[in-house]
Amino acid sequence: MSLCICETYRSKIELGDVTPHNIKQLKLLNQVVFPVSYNEKFYKDVLEAGELAKLAYYNDIVVGAVCCRVDTSENSRRLYIMTLGCLYPYRRLGIGTVMVQHVLNYVYKDGNFDSIFLHVQISNEGAIDFYKKFGFEIVETKEHYYKRIEPADAHVLQKTLRPKTNQTNNQQNNQ
Amino acid sequence: MPSSNPLPPKENALFKRILRCYEHKQYKNGIKFAKQILSNPKFSEHGETLAMKGLTLNCLGRKEEAYDHVRRGLRNDLQSHVCWHVYGLLQRSDKKYDEAIKCYRNALKWDKDNIQILRDLSLLQIQMRDLEGYKDTRYQLFMLRPTQRASWIGFAISYHLLKDYETALKILDTFRNSPMICYDYEHSELLLYQNMVIQESGECEQALKHLDKYSDQICDKVTVKETYGKLRLQLKQYAEAVQVYKELLNINPENTTYYARLAEAERHTKPEETLAMLQRYEDLFPRALAPRRLQLNYAIGDEFKILVDRYLRRGLHKGVPPLFVNLRSLYNDQQKVDTIQSLVLEYKEALKAHGHFSDQEKDNPREPASALLWTYYYLAQHYDHLGLTEKALNEIDAAIEHTPTLIELFVTKGRIYKHAGNVQEAYKWLDEAQGLDTADRYINSKCAKYMLRANLIKEAEETCGKFTREGVLAMENLNEMQCMWIQTEAANAYKRLGKYGEALKKCHEVDRVDFNNIYLQHFSEIIEDQFDFHTYCMRKMTLRSYVGLLRLEDVLRAHPFYFKAAKCAVEVYLRLHDEPLPDPTQAQEIDTDHLPLSVGSHVLFEKDTFTF
Repeated sequence: MSLCICETYRSKIELGDVTPHNIKQLKLLNQVVFPVSYNEKFYKDVLEAGELAKLAYYNDIVVGAVCCRVDTSENSRRLYIMTLGCLYPYRRLGIGTVMVQHVLNYVYKDGNFDSIFLHVQISNEGAIDFYKKFGFEIVETKEHYYKRIEPADAHVLQKTLRPKTNQTNNQQNNQ
Repeated sequence: MPSSNPLPPKENALFKRILRCYEHKQYKNGIKFAKQILSNPKFSEHGETLAMKGLTLNCLGRKEEAYDHVRRGLRNDLQSHVCWHVYGLLQRSDKKYDEAIKCYRNALKWDKDNIQILRDLSLLQIQMRDLEGYKDTRYQLFMLRPTQRASWIGFAISYHLLKDYETALKILDTFRNSPMICYDYEHSELLLYQNMVIQESGECEQALKHLDKYSDQICDKVTVKETYGKLRLQLKQYAEAVQVYKELLNINPENTTYYARLAEAERHTKPEETLAMLQRYEDLFPRALAPRRLQLNYAIGDEFKILVDRYLRRGLHKGVPPLFVNLRSLYNDQQKVDTIQSLVLEYKEALKAHGHFSDQEKDNPREPASALLWTYYYLAQHYDHLGLTEKALNEIDAAIEHTPTLIELFVTKGRIYKHAGNVQEAYKWLDEAQGLDTADRYINSKCAKYMLRANLIKEAEETCGKFTREGVLAMENLNEMQCMWIQTEAANAYKRLGKYGEALKKCHEVDRVDFNNIYLQHFSEIIEDQFDFHTYCMRKMTLRSYVGLLRLEDVLRAHPFYFKAAKCAVEVYLRLHDEPLPDPTQAQEIDTDHLPLSVGSHVLFEKDTFTF
């Protein structure tokens, strides 16, 4: 049978705001995607985060999300990616790229960030390769960063925006 | 218009001011002037002044005093058309239309050519569907005011409704040729109305001629074409009908009735012919959905399989949530059900294995990641429809596992439980769905409905409250908006809980029984609302819609909402008849204020029984 659908079809990837109406979708998503769970404070802050928290839609279905915050420790202004994740069946479709690109656009437009950084579990090679594509580098490895998952160590991945030596500070967890 | 008891000039001037105040809704001033007349001992019992004072009091909500004054006025001046007219208006405001009609008639005895009274009378007559009386009144109005457009139109409509098409048409013809019609759209509507009257008289031939003659003056071109099509078919002029429906399909290839009419005009005798026709249209309009979907109704066997395969793939590829609902009507054919099932199961396996709809396509680009999700979703609904709860749940769980953020999945899971009779589990899943998008009123309403099915009345109210106006009780607001499904569902929930008083109260919000007038709150309101259209439509010349409205109102209570509420009320009353409540003061659940006192021995809707 030669019944292929001959339309050239591109799946639609869009980002949308997190609002009090759909915040439960974000919770559900994070619950499924990440092995660690986030507290109410996390979600309360996310609602205030504006462009720093986004849901990713694939063909109008929520399949991913990115949540960041501004970190001003160590005398520098850095963007910290708290979570960036996508449902398993929708990986390798460019959704993560759209989310990272959104974050990069945000910091470039702002023009006042020194760097972007995040934590990745050392075993998560996929994620490490993914971020390397965008110019992130492993700058530090923290032992026993995670409390309830194995391996408990995390790499700090960083993308420097302004030439300035700075060290990362031990903060929240990230996939 | 002489009164039997005329006032001297000074008082007469005051009386005229009362009338003016009434018309301008300055009720307080009106009463002031009335008092000025009545305070004079010579006129303290002046009938017309008393009547007008009463009418004004009624507008201020002082009903008892109003009746008192109006009746006293009337007694003092039984030969005054004003007093009778006022009494009629008062009764009308209380919806006692029969009584009001009597009053107007009495008023006309003393002033038979009073336009205002005749007009008011005609409104009541059409409202009460006293068609003979309406015709007589419209005739009088016509004779008195032959230069007014409304006189002609009302006159013609009165004959049309009595099925005297010939007279109605004569009036319309004469009217159309008079210089009273000015602008195009009104004329166009009038022509279409006239054509409707001709069609109803059964003279298709004449209707066609009429249309031929005037079609270029009618603005609504689609209606002209549709009417042509209908007439050509009725007159068995098939070749012409084919032409008309082809033109209509060129305008709108999504109209399913056009395809059915075209098939009729082409005089198909076998489904294969219709199928071929639809295939031609699919080629002609590759983006149109209707011809593709309709083919599935006519195709069978292998042909059906090829078509439905293509249709399903398209839907699953794109992610069309109502795909199942769209195909559900095919499910009365077991062969088609089997074909669909085997195809969709095949897709599921292939998509799971390598992301294509079948093994033969491995070299093609992969389907979108959501295709498998929609396939699970389709299968869940498919099995649910067939009553296979277990299988349906397996599929929906697989879908949720695949994409736990798709809200429709939770709605479907709830629905599967509902169909299986588990109202508790059903509402839990709807509540989950509702929480995921609290800005979605559709899901919010569905959730409330499922809560009511699980007898959770308070929870349902709270859920609805997220969308109702702030500062008002949710149920009150919903009642105000004539949201009938929730009242019917709430009534049934109360009934199941044995709270019969509350159940009846809810039923009567949809379906209200009054002291001496059986009327239904929402339904009677809808019937009441007609009043505005009796004058409005004649002014605007939207006569086709007006006659349509009158006919709708005539069968309004055939509506399923009415039926459901009435059924619930009947069941409660029967139950209360079979097992009367022991002692209402002990049964605290029962709202004694709202329970009829002698429910047991009366038949539902018997007059003077229920005091809601």
